Amino acid sequence: MEPLGETAYAASIDTGTSVAVHTGFPNPAAERQGTPLSLDKLLVRHPSSTYFFRIRGHSWHRYGVFDGDIAVIDRALPPRGRNLTVWWQESGEFALSPLMQADHDIWGTVTAIIHPCGDPSP
Amino acid sequence: MSAVYALVDCNNFFVSCERLFRPTLEGRPVVVLSSNDGCTVSRSQEAKDLGIPMGAPHFQWREFFKTHGVTAFSANFELYGDISERITNLLASVTPHIEVYSVDESFLDVSELHIADYHAWGQGIRSSILRHVGVPVSVGIAPSKTLAKAANDRAKKLPELGGSLDLTQQGSATDHYLAGLPIQDVWGVGWRLAPKLRAESVHSALDLRQLDVRRAQQLMGIHGRQMVYELNGTACLPFARASKPQQMIMRGRQFGQDTGEVYVIESAVAALAARAAVALRREHQLACRAVVSLKTNRNKPGYQHVSREVRFYTPTADTGTITSQLVRLLQADLPRASYHKADVLLYDFVPERALQTDLLGAVDLETDSRSQRKMRALDAINQLHGKGTVKMAAETLSRAWEPRKKMSSPRYTSSWEELPEVKLLQ
Repeated sequence: MEPLGETAYAASIDTGTSVAVHTGFPNPAAERQGTPLSLDKLLVRHPSSTYFFRIRGHSWHRYGVFDGDIAVIDRALPPRGRNLTVWWQESGEFALSPLMQADHDIWGTVTAIIHPCGDPSP
Repeated sequence: MSAVYALVDCNNFFVSCERLFRPTLEGRPVVVLSSNDGCTVSRSQEAKDLGIPMGAPHFQWREFFKTHGVTAFSANFELYGDISERITNLLASVTPHIEVYSVDESFLDVSELHIADYHAWGQGIRSSILRHVGVPVSVGIAPSKTLAKAANDRAKKLPELGGSLDLTQQGSATDHYLAGLPIQDVWGVGWRLAPKLRAESVHSALDLRQLDVRRAQQLMGIHGRQMVYELNGTACLPFARASKPQQMIMRGRQFGQDTGEVYVIESAVAALAARAAVALRREHQLACRAVVSLKTNRNKPGYQHVSREVRFYTPTADTGTITSQLVRLLQADLPRASYHKADVLLYDFVPERALQTDLLGAVDLETDSRSQRKMRALDAINQLHGKGTVKMAAETLSRAWEPRKKMSSPRYTSSWEELPEVKLLQ
C-alpha cells in the first residue's frame, strides 16, 4: 500500500462533446474551457514535499544557471542517474550538484530552476 | 465493527522544523523559545537529556545554554504552520476522516481502511512523512483515542518500535506497554489528578486500566470513568471530523463619498474588522485568515479592485490583532484611487477551545487568555451600553503587537527574500 501516493500531474483537457456553433463570426475563445494554465501545477508536482532554494554561486553560467536563481526541490522524488540534487555538507551549507555516489546526505531532488530574465535577482 | 484510531504526532515538532533547514543540528541539543523568547516550548532529545525542563525561562538558562552548546531559536510560527499544513495534507490523502488535534498531532479514523498490519502501516506513514516533508513523527494505533495517545507515547520513547505501536489487541502485550507509561503521562490525567491517583497506588496507565470503574468515578467523576473505559479499548471520546465547516464572516460598507484618503479608509477597515471580530467571538471561533478588499465605483471608468490577505499563525478573534494586521497591509501598498466600497472577510476558522487546549506551548497562553478576557469585557460593555462604546484606540494600530524575535530562523517557506540558500559546486 502506498498511502501517500503521487498526486495527479496533468493538465485536464476537456474535449467537449457538444459544441454549439451559432451564426456570425465565431468567438475564438468559445472553446476555451477549464482552468487557466498554472505555473504552480507545472513546477510543483507534490506541494507537500516541494521547497524552494535560492541558488548562490557563479560557476554554472555555461549551463545557464545563475546566482540568485530559484531551485525547485522535491523531497519525494528519489534521485536517479545524474539528477541534480541538494545535499548538505559537513560545514552545514547546502550544496547543489549532480547526484554523487554517497547519497546519505541528500536533501532533495531539483525539479526546475527558475531564472528571471533581464532584471538580475538580489 | 469497532473503531480504530491512529494518532500521528510529530517528535519535538518545532525543533524538527528548525533542523530540517539546519541538518547539522541533528544529534545536538536544540530548544525553541515561546514568543518574546520567554521560555522553552520545544526541546530536542539531547536538550531533554541535559535536564532542560519544558517551560525553562530563557533568562535563567541563557548561561547554561551557552556553556552546553545548546542552540536556541525564537519561535518561527510561519515555518511551523507551513510544515504542519504539509503534514495535514499528506494525512488527508490517506483518509478524509482526520481530526487535526493541534499544530503537531492529528487523529485519523482508520477503521475502514482494511489495514492488515497496523504496525507496518504506522511505520509506512512515518517514513512517508519523513521523506516528503522532512520531519519525524510517531504513530500510535488503538481502538480509543486515549489508548492511541498512550501507544504514541510509547512509540516515541522506545526506539526499538521504529516509531509505531499497535495496541489494537487487548492482551498481555498491551498491558506490558501500559505498565511502562507513568500515570502523569496518561492523556487526561495531568498534574492535578496524578497525585490523587498515586495515593490510590495507581502509578501507571496499566494500574488505571485495571482500576474499578466505580472507584474511578468516585475519584474523578465521569471523566475518570471515561478514562478507564478508553484505556480498556472502549471509545468514549467523540471523533471530531476535520470537515472544516465552510464558514466565513464578511462585513462591508460603501463610503459616504468616494475617497482616496488613507485615514478614512483605515478607520472604515478598522470598524469593519471590529464588527466581523465580534461576530466571530459570538460563534466561539478563531480565524486563521482575513482579507480586506477595496473597490472603486463599478460604474465609473478605471474600475479597480484591491485585495490583501493576511494569515494568522496563531488563530485569533482579537479585534486589535485583526485590525492592525489588515491596516498594516493596506499601508504597505495602497494603489492611489478613489475608493467606493470596503469589505473585510474572516475565514478558515478553528474553535476557540482548540487554542485553549491544543496549542499549549505553541502560543503564549497567558497573553492569549488575557486577550480573550479583554475581548469578552469589550463585548460585554458594548452589549450593555450600545455598539461602539468601547473601541480600539489608534495605538493598537502601532506595531507594538509584533513579538520580539531575536533568534528566529528565516521564513524559509513563506518569503521569497528568506529562502534557504544552496551553493553551486563545480
